[in-house]
Amino acid sequence: MQHAAFSDTVAMVTGASRGLGRALTLELARGGASLAIAARDAAALQHVADEAGRNGAAAVLAVAADVSQPRDVERLAALALDRFGRVDVLVNNASALGPVPLPYLADVPASALHEVFETNVAGPLRLTQAMVGGMLLRGRGLVLNVSSDAAIEGYPGWGLYGASKAALDTLTRTWAAELQGSGVRVVSVDPGDMDTDMHRAADPDADPATLRAPADVARAIAALLRDGVGAAPRQVVAL
Amino acid sequence: MIVQVPAGLRAARPAELRGLRRDGARLAVVDRASRTVHHTTVAQMDEHLGAGDALILNSSRTVPAALDVLREDRAPVQLRPWVRRPDSWDAIAVQSAPPHAPVPLRIGETLRVQDELLLRVEARREDVAALWRVAVVRGDWLDALLRFGRPIQYSYAPQPLAMEHHQTLYAGRPGSAETPSAGRHLTWELLLGLRRRGVAVADLVLHTGLSSTQDDELDATQPLLEEWFEVPAHVADAVNGASRVVAVGTSGVRALETAAVAGGGRVVPMSGWTGMRVGPERGVRAVHGLLTGLHEAGGSHLELLRAFLDDALLDRAHAEAVERGYLWHEFGDAMLVL
Repeated sequence: MQHAAFSDTVAMVTGASRGLGRALTLELARGGASLAIAARDAAALQHVADEAGRNGAAAVLAVAADVSQPRDVERLAALALDRFGRVDVLVNNASALGPVPLPYLADVPASALHEVFETNVAGPLRLTQAMVGGMLLRGRGLVLNVSSDAAIEGYPGWGLYGASKAALDTLTRTWAAELQGSGVRVVSVDPGDMDTDMHRAADPDADPATLRAPADVARAIAALLRDGVGAAPRQVVAL
Repeated sequence: MIVQVPAGLRAARPAELRGLRRDGARLAVVDRASRTVHHTTVAQMDEHLGAGDALILNSSRTVPAALDVLREDRAPVQLRPWVRRPDSWDAIAVQSAPPHAPVPLRIGETLRVQDELLLRVEARREDVAALWRVAVVRGDWLDALLRFGRPIQYSYAPQPLAMEHHQTLYAGRPGSAETPSAGRHLTWELLLGLRRRGVAVADLVLHTGLSSTQDDELDATQPLLEEWFEVPAHVADAVNGASRVVAVGTSGVRALETAAVAGGGRVVPMSGWTGMRVGPERGVRAVHGLLTGLHEAGGSHLELLRAFLDDALLDRAHAEAVERGYLWHEFGDAMLVL
């Protein structure tokens, strides 16, 4: 039964070429989802699209796109809606760390804030705006924003990233309040520290044994989706 | 009947760039039964709709439909696809820069956008000579428009606007060359409020063509070309079950009336091409009301309004709108006919 869990679902995942985005794409593919996936690196994205096809995805649309660019966001939305007619689940996963190795706020070029916020806050806002209208008209849909505990804690070096995720969580809470009763849910999920390229860039000395495998986190997120994130008690969920 | 609109009343920018919200645009509510014109804002539209009413949106997404292509001699020309089929366009060809006057193409010539899109000019349309039938030889035309196209601009709105200002807030499947602009005013705060009041809000799709051939003489003949539309089953049900059906935009009226003619008066689910011209002779069968913008040119818009309103009431509504300084055109104010 689990195999067909997503056979009626059209899901869009950003940042799908690597890490959690790739793992979640493959997990949804195993459930038979139709997928619109995006990342900047076209070759790496196509590789994941091929893997998703082999894993059981009903259909895969791969769009090389940078969510920090409004034109790319519009193109991603339009191509996905042209292909599938609708998107049921949007996973805003693509994220930018800013400069690495992670500098103290005293040392970071302040101009880096712009890139981090365009990718982690403005991109998800624009893409959610592009998708939420159709969801509201149908009276159902789910937007899942991938967040971080850096949104809450003041970890040295994680200031820009953490500030952007705090902003993303605030958007999540506001969307949720505004769309209450509409049938459309917006949640943030904190996946914890994972063994990914991003985490290695941020914290190269971390012991991989202490990090979670992206595939395990993807399974937990898929379970959340399957049980209807509708049932999630809070807007910001730590896995 | 020609509406005389002072040049200063042509909206050059949308409400959200004039210090208002989208639904802050002014709204003239024209009530056919009481023959009154009431002046309010789009945000207050919920005072005029209630349980049992259906508000039908056109959720077609606007694509940036002005595409600069290179001819074989590398001279630029701008294509504006009016009718878009999977493997061919019926497009006008104009200069790449203002005033965008028509440019004749040669049958058989090829046009390209970098290495992404290769087109070949196949023929000229017999009914509307401004249109060239252009085959898509190689490439994905939708992707090419989304990557390289620009939104169609209006002479009275010379500042280029970001794509978001050309979209309705509920835009779905892409395919309109110009915004189904009557719905540009509608905010989700308003739509969700209407739903809570028991108004059925549902969407059909009609991909709009162009409003101009860039040839004044030809435009004066009001060419109306076929447009692709879809009325889904749940929308047909909503319309047939509603006490009052209010279409958002003339495109919505054309789609619903086409589906009503096919169903012998009852709206049936259907998709296909429509070139239906709605006017006072034909009247309207399925639609009771209309939210629309204010347009002076393009007599087809006035003809469609005359299917709802007699000339005396329509003239009075327009005169009051001019007197009160309503703004005209895609980015201007609005009229709700009930």
